[in-house]
Formats: sequence, C-alpha cells, structure tokens
Amino acid sequence: MIHLIKNAINEGLLNIRRKLGSFLITLLMVSLSFMVFDIFLIISWNLGTALKNEQENVGIEVFLRDNITEVEAVNLADIISGMEGVRSVYYVSPEEAEAVFRADLPEQADLLTLLGPQFHLPASIQISLQPDYRTSDKVGGLARTVSGMDGVEDIVYGKEYLPGLTRAVDILAKLVILAGLVLAVSLSLVVANTVRLAVTRRALAVQIMSIVGAPGWFVRVPFLGEGLLTGVAGAAGSLLLTVAVSWMLSSSVPHEFLPVKWVMLVLILGASSGAAGSWIGMKSGIPKPRS
Amino acid sequence: MLTFQNVSRFYNDWPALENINFKVQRGEFLVVSGPSGAGKTTLFRHIWMGDLPSIGTVEVAGYRSDRIRKDDLPLLRRKLGIVFQDFRLLPERTVFDNVALPLQVAGTSPKAIRRRVFSLLAEMELNHRRSSYPHELSGGEQQRVAIARAMVAHPVILLADEPTGNLDPEVSRRVIDLLIEINRSGTAVILATHDPRQVPAGTARFLYLERGHLVNPGIWDGYRQL
Repeated sequence: MIHLIKNAINEGLLNIRRKLGSFLITLLMVSLSFMVFDIFLIISWNLGTALKNEQENVGIEVFLRDNITEVEAVNLADIISGMEGVRSVYYVSPEEAEAVFRADLPEQADLLTLLGPQFHLPASIQISLQPDYRTSDKVGGLARTVSGMDGVEDIVYGKEYLPGLTRAVDILAKLVILAGLVLAVSLSLVVANTVRLAVTRRALAVQIMSIVGAPGWFVRVPFLGEGLLTGVAGAAGSLLLTVAVSWMLSSSVPHEFLPVKWVMLVLILGASSGAAGSWIGMKSGIPKPRS
Repeated sequence: MLTFQNVSRFYNDWPALENINFKVQRGEFLVVSGPSGAGKTTLFRHIWMGDLPSIGTVEVAGYRSDRIRKDDLPLLRRKLGIVFQDFRLLPERTVFDNVALPLQVAGTSPKAIRRRVFSLLAEMELNHRRSSYPHELSGGEQQRVAIARAMVAHPVILLADEPTGNLDPEVSRRVIDLLIEINRSGTAVILATHDPRQVPAGTARFLYLERGHLVNPGIWDGYRQL
C-alpha cells in the first residue's frame, strides 16, 4: 500500500514536471486572482479595525437630575452595573464634570464663572458596554430601560451615528464573505478547467491505467494533488505578491497587513478551491476505458 | 477459468453479441476470428469487464459479471494482460516505464519492479531499448513492448486484440510466435484476428464470430471454408 501511495504521488509530480509551463501559467492566473482578493481583504481589515475602534468607544452617558444625592447616584450606578450587556459604570460627580469641562474646553471655562456659583454641571453615570452590546439595537434597548429609572434626566448614546456604524461593520463583514465565495467559485472553475484539460491530455494514460488494474483513487489522486497544489501555491504566491505591494505602499498609505488568522484563511480558501476544481474537472473529464 | 454463459449484449436493441457460450481452460490458446464489426472487440471488453452483458454471465478468474463490484475491477484486470492493435503505449514514458506501469499501479516495490522488468525486457530482447521512447521504436518493437507490459504482472490470461493489424507479415509472424511461446509457458492466450491462418494448425482452438453470433462452434478449425 505504501508503494502504491508513493507511486500515485510520484505520478502526480511527474505530470506537473511534464507540463511545467502550463502549470506555472495556471499558478500565475490563480495568484493574480487571489491577489485582488488579498488587497480587498487588507482594505477590509484596516477599515474594519477603524470601525471597531469607533465601536469600542460606544457607550451610554446617563445625566442625573439635580436633586439626586450622591448616595442615590451611586446606588443607581450599582443597579445599572448589574444589567445585561454592561461591562462597567463610572459615576461622574458635578465637581468632576466641571473639572473635565475646564480641562477639555479651557477657552470656554469663563462661561462657568459667568453663570455663578449656583450653577453646576449635572452628575452623570458613564456606561461602558460588552463588545456584542455595541450595536444600535442593543444600545437603544438598554438606553430606553435606563431612561425610565428614577433620578435619570437625560441619556446620550450616539443615536445618530451608531446605526450607520453598525450597518457599515455588518456590510463590510458580508462583503468579505461574498467576495470570498465569488473568488472560491471562480477559482474552482479555473482549476476545474485546468484539470479537465490535463485529464483530456492524459486520456490515454488514464485509460491504460484503468485497464492494467489501477484502483480508481490511484487515477484520481494525481489530479486532485495537482488541483490542491495549484490552489495552495496560488494563494501563497498571491500573499507574497501582496506583501511586496503592501511594503511598497506602506510609507504613502499607512496600513496593517493581514493577521495570521486571515492569512491561514486565504490558504485554506486556495486549497478548497483547488480541491473543488479538481473534483469538478475529474467528474466531467475522466473517460471510461474503451477497447 | 473463463466462461461465457448465454451472453448477449444489446446497444439500443442492436445485438452486438447474441447468445454466446464458450469456455477457456487454464493454459489454452483460443483464436477468435471474424470480419470487422463481428463483435470480437466487444467480446474482449466483456472479458476485462469494461462492458457487462445485457443477458447472461461472464466469469473470469473467479469474478462473475453479475456480482462484480466496482472495487473488484482493478483486481480482475491485474489477472489479465491486454494487447491492442494500436499498441497503446504512453508516448511520454520510456520502454522501461511503460512495461513497469501494471506493477506500479499494483503497489509493487521499486526493487521488485526493476528486477521483473529487466528480466522480461531481456527475455523479449528489448533490454537495449529500455530507455527509448515509443516513437523511437519500430512497429514490431512497439508491439513487443506492449506484450511485455501485458505479461509483466504474470497474468493468467493474455488478451491480444488484433495485435498484428498494424504490422508487416514478417513482424506479424514473430509476434504470433511470441504469443505461442507465452502460451507454452502456461498462460492462456486469447487472440482476436481477422486472419486465423496466422496461427499454425494444432496450436489453438478457433471460434468464428459473425454479426455477434458464434458460427459452428467446436467445428471450425480456422482453415476450412465456413
């Protein structure tokens, strides 16, 4: 069995060596197609990171009524911190709010002096959310619950930009999946066509092998191996080309390269497109032995 | 070892073979003759089960056409050696690699393959040609390579489908002599030919096929007029 497997692998390598030129052309085609996908992934990854950073800052600011005592405010903060989706809460007293105002907007600090010592900024509770609660639906729901609580004057949570941000992140994720699927299908067809041509070119060998008693898998393994290799090597080649392009553009367009997990995903996509392509190619290409 | 029992094969109601009955014993030499289109090749396809009967059963080396599984086909074919009129050698492989193919697909070790192929090529006076490619050989040499490939895995039956069809008379005679020699060493040989007089009288049993039927089985000796 060991010799049989070895022979099947040798057969595949021999086939590739015999038509190295056409194999390299296919490899280049697959690499260039994958490169377009890699660049799209890099843009998506960087855009996604920026959007995620924005989402990180999504939280709720709960402004309290003037008449609420500090003890009541802290009790309210405790209740809110126990609610689903809340990661942490922070009580901002009127004094701290004034200090922050003066620090953030020093040119408008005079306004506070003009309003007199009776005026003070309202106390507030800043709510930070669990990552999966940073969508407009969930933040809105939580905000509605909190706004009905005693002592709450007003609530601010980025009602205007949050739906757009959530949608943008969703669309981006869907686009990546769609592009991956489209690429997987088109590359499978490229590989399928290559394998079908290889099968046609080797029709005599396939027939003779079958007639002299080769098991079906022995005939198929070289083609499957060729498809897999085309897919993986094409994906790996595209990543090398993309690294080069990324390096060249890094000074003019600051960006991050893909994380290891995504690189692995590209390679797996290459392997599966290659395998699917060989399967389609063999299915329609391998002839029945004739006499 | 080989039995055709009431075998008929229809393609869209057209009978390629009809009610064929015969047996081949171990070590026998059978010549199947008949004009072009008589069904000789279809009969051969049924022996290596590249085609199965519409009616009846074929039994070859313990495998029955009505019970054989797809996985058994390679095992059956390893017990057969097949030679074609157009040689069917793989053009991109050397003589050695062509002859070694049946052993490679059966999982034989490289060392055993080398030993067997070298000895067979020497027997068939092809050793000096082992690194040549098929297009560098004469027709006779190509057919000898094809016979070597058919014999390399020690088949129990050698099927030769018009092996001399593309060869001149002198080379044809040598190929027939080689088949007779193979048969004398104990391998059953089934030869399809449109000219049964190539085979010397007394060396073989003859069957004559015409339009898918066996004509006068057991009587015709390959020489007398039908």
